[in-house]
Amino acid sequence: MLIGRIYKAALGRFRSSLQLRALAYTVALSGSALVLLGGVLSFSIGNGLFNTRTEQAELESHRATFAVSRVFSGVTGTNQQQLSKAIAEVVPELESIGVSQTRQVAFIYSGSKDSKKFSSPKSTNFDLALVTPEFRARVLATKDIESQTVQISRGGESIPAILIGQRFEVPKGHPYELYLVYDMYNEQQTLGFVQRTLVLGGLVTLMIIGFFSFLVTSWLVRPVRDAAEVSEFIAAGDLDRRLPVRGSDVIAVLASSFNHMADSLQEKIKDMRQLSTMQQRFVSDVSHELRTPLTTMKLTADYLYSQRENFDDLSKRSAEIMHSQMDRFDQLLADLLEISRYDAAGVKPEYEVHDMNGIVGSALESIQQFADSKGVYLDVEIPSGAVQCEVDVRRIERILNNLLTNAIEHSEGKPVKIRVAQNETAVAVSVTDQGIGMNDSELAQAFNRFWRADPSRKRTTGGTGLGLAISIEDAQLHSGVLEVTAAPNLGACFRLTLPKRQDVLMGESPLKLAIEAEH
Amino acid sequence: MFKILIVEDDDALRETLEIGLRSNGFDVCQAATGTDAIPVFEKHKPDLVLLDLMLPGKNGIEICQELRQTSGVPIIMLTARTDDNDMIRGLEAGADDYVTKPYKIEVLVSRIKARLRPLKQVQHTIIKLGPIELDTLSHEVLKNGKKVSLTPLEFKLLLTLASHPNEVFSREMLLEQVWEYTYKADTRLVNVHVQRLRSKIEEDQEDPKLVLTVRGWGYKAGPE
Repeated sequence: MLIGRIYKAALGRFRSSLQLRALAYTVALSGSALVLLGGVLSFSIGNGLFNTRTEQAELESHRATFAVSRVFSGVTGTNQQQLSKAIAEVVPELESIGVSQTRQVAFIYSGSKDSKKFSSPKSTNFDLALVTPEFRARVLATKDIESQTVQISRGGESIPAILIGQRFEVPKGHPYELYLVYDMYNEQQTLGFVQRTLVLGGLVTLMIIGFFSFLVTSWLVRPVRDAAEVSEFIAAGDLDRRLPVRGSDVIAVLASSFNHMADSLQEKIKDMRQLSTMQQRFVSDVSHELRTPLTTMKLTADYLYSQRENFDDLSKRSAEIMHSQMDRFDQLLADLLEISRYDAAGVKPEYEVHDMNGIVGSALESIQQFADSKGVYLDVEIPSGAVQCEVDVRRIERILNNLLTNAIEHSEGKPVKIRVAQNETAVAVSVTDQGIGMNDSELAQAFNRFWRADPSRKRTTGGTGLGLAISIEDAQLHSGVLEVTAAPNLGACFRLTLPKRQDVLMGESPLKLAIEAEH
Repeated sequence: MFKILIVEDDDALRETLEIGLRSNGFDVCQAATGTDAIPVFEKHKPDLVLLDLMLPGKNGIEICQELRQTSGVPIIMLTARTDDNDMIRGLEAGADDYVTKPYKIEVLVSRIKARLRPLKQVQHTIIKLGPIELDTLSHEVLKNGKKVSLTPLEFKLLLTLASHPNEVFSREMLLEQVWEYTYKADTRLVNVHVQRLRSKIEEDQEDPKLVLTVRGWGYKAGPE
């Protein structure tokens, strides 16, 4: 479990750190190269040592043969005593000459008869088992020197050695075999030392490579990391951030093109902002500038309207139409101005504690006449007691008025359900109708400016098309949300959820967002 | 017949306003620029001033401040700007009320009538609030025996609060009782006037003792 977790953490770290990965790869690759190199070196050194030793051993064997011949040179005729003495001298003689202090000698009689007469002397530590029958057969088959690698044991330690064998004839043609064992203890030691040095050297080299590649990668990764960090800042809106440009290498090029990109991005954003500000100001200015002539027209229209009884029928009707359209124009301009104020972020809400039931009640009261005229029954379900919440009451009333007007207009005479509910942190109002509803693409545009659910439908209330756009801004101003769900011909449900107080997060809405099945 | 001064630079609007006001039974005098406003005011001594904020010559805020130095005449701002800052600055300069363009003549007339309506006749009493004394008949206000000059609206606001000490009035209630609004209006109207009132009667505006704010509810007259 723990190991798994550590592994996972390490893997995560490995994946997330470019530098760690680069370092790991460098170390792994150079490690493999070093191992290969060390292997080759160690093999060729070992081989060289072995060959040298073999050559040396063979050379010495010749000398040994020569020495043995000298031992027997004094032996003449059939003097058995002299011969036996000479045979006995072979081993000590050979043990003492040459450079190999650790040479072992065996002088073995190859004949079959009279073995008492012909002794087979050997060095005390010569293990005759080394001379295998196969090797012996090879020696007997040739006049030349035969050699073979064997393992001998010395001080309980197995070390490689060279076994050299040669036929020898003592005077009177008695066949003998001379075996010499040259141990390779020193070579073994040397090879061991070389190998240890290689391993140690390899490790040190690896560490140095690791260290240097750490330095190099951090030197290379740092600008990349800086770039990542700076781009995070820029993404977060801190458009003045730039990368430092040092030198003229590829990293400097990266930094300068990054900066260049950031510059043009900033320029574009600035332009867009300027354009957006200009547009907002234009809308605001237009709205303002329209107000004075509109007031004049409105006052005039009002006056004519108040005097309409004195006019002939056509003039009277004209005065009435002008009067009603003035109101619509007025409302449109007011909404436009409100939206432009939101766009310019110039809205300052005034929060006070109110009872949501009360706000809903007064909204219902003001809409009742319209509902009656449409024959729509308003089905109200509110909790008992007060539903306290901190709101800018004018804006909430505006939202409710919008939602109720929309619902009644689109309900096709079916009842509209209004619910209020609260929980610890939030207050919600939902307005659900069972009218024409909206399909998904219409739903996605419901809060768009000047969008209407069905352009072919008669406009009965003369809404401005900005109502829901303003409502959603109003809701967001309160840190609340205004959501909608709908289905074609089943109806629509709008739900406003607001935090109870402006200093708390509102969490879950206490009401469902769902259209309901027909009763 | 009440005489209304219209200070408005747009000729057509000024003329339409005149028609509207005359048809509602008011006498009208006019000023087309900011610089004309004060001389016309002094010549005609109107009962109420309708003041456009954006004027050539001298702007509405300055005119308001100048008028307030010598007169408590009711001033109603006519503003094209629903820009809050302008409205607040106008109120702070001494305007009693405001009407946002475009307005209906009925609304304007009802605002004018509300401002011109005399206070309800009450029994002659002296209402005391700390060091302040209000004479309900002469509308004189004394602070530690010295006369304090309040506009009629400020007097009405103070009288409303002081008649029911320690009773909390919501901003909406004050809009209804003092400004005689029958529909929703901007509650900042109340805030600004409470500030103006405090600046005239409180020792320390930042630490009011007479007109107290009840957070989340509204205002009440001091702890006496």
